[in-house]
Amino acid sequence: MRTDQLVDLLARQAGPAPRKAVETRLAVAASVGVLVSAGAAVGVLGLNPALTAMGAALVIKMAYVVSLALGAAWLADRVSRPGTPWRRAAWSLAAVVLAMTVLVAVVTAAAPGTQRLELLLGRSWISCSWRVAALSGPALVAVVWGMRGLAPTRPRLAGFAAGVLAGGLGALGYALYCPELSPVFVLAWYTLGILVPATLGAAVGPWLLRW
Amino acid sequence: MTHKAVQDDFERQLRPLWLSAHAGDEKAYHKALTLTADRLRGYFARRMAGFSHDVEDLVQETLLALHLQRGTYDASVPVTAWVHGIARHKLVDLWRRRGRSEQVFEAFDDLPEALHPVTCDECEAHHDLALLLQALPMAQRRSILDTKLEGLSVADAARREGVSESAVKINVHRGLKRLARIVREMP
Repeated sequence: MRTDQLVDLLARQAGPAPRKAVETRLAVAASVGVLVSAGAAVGVLGLNPALTAMGAALVIKMAYVVSLALGAAWLADRVSRPGTPWRRAAWSLAAVVLAMTVLVAVVTAAAPGTQRLELLLGRSWISCSWRVAALSGPALVAVVWGMRGLAPTRPRLAGFAAGVLAGGLGALGYALYCPELSPVFVLAWYTLGILVPATLGAAVGPWLLRW
Repeated sequence: MTHKAVQDDFERQLRPLWLSAHAGDEKAYHKALTLTADRLRGYFARRMAGFSHDVEDLVQETLLALHLQRGTYDASVPVTAWVHGIARHKLVDLWRRRGRSEQVFEAFDDLPEALHPVTCDECEAHHDLALLLQALPMAQRRSILDTKLEGLSVADAARREGVSESAVKINVHRGLKRLARIVREMP
């Protein structure tokens, strides 16, 4: 086949480029992920009846996981496009963790020494991270599937971004059940739980996101 | 002209065409792809010394990828950066499939761009379009033949095949996607 023939073929009746292809695919995948995760959390673990009484603790928890998911979605969008800068999006993720760390440092410093371990471990530290990781599984499948139709040229980073996004969505679902109030707990165990799909995503990226 | 000035010059030439093409201007798209093909030929030729017969295959594979992925272009980024990202990806992918390590390839990335694009009259790749189309499922093949080779409008093709317009568009897109995969997997 001659190249000018291919150019003829590609250009003829090409129509406009698909609009918002990246945003659409990622949004669909994330919506599927968060619905499955929230459904599984409520269905398997149960909705926490004390949720509305948690006040600021719930707001902080939700703000943390939603910010992580948004930063990861931004990074996933950037790395799904060839030749497009992505570092600011990556820094936004670091900034979210840093902001939470500052808050945790303030809370820990203000607490009496005897309560600090309690703030960290709560009552459910043993199960929290694993449940977050398990709930993010369907979201990870959905987001990686969504990204496969796009054009990531850094598959490991793209897999990582997909994993953090999935982890954030899984954590969002888990928060519907989670009885813990302490931001120290959230920073430690939620972040650890989110790192599981993030690591998995980075591991499978080069394999599943090749095109 | 310096390397940077050449790049900027090419960007100035390509960008307005690409943006018109993005909005649906077929002529602008044709011109943009032709210009890009000439640049890609130069880009690959310098990095594929000793494999010159593969250059045209790679140019075509990259053009297909550019077309299939054009929804991932973000207008805030230079078109050349996006094109280069895809070209580099295709080159690394080829080396990887050939068992060359990416580290060896990295050194090629510092090569200065040629001052002139490489054109040719009969740039021919190994694969034969007719044979490639044979490998597609019938619905995809027919949609591509109707719209891309006969030049029927999507509406006319839909009427001829007795399917909806969106089905024709989807068939064309999936067919080209499958073509890209076949071309990539050919030895």
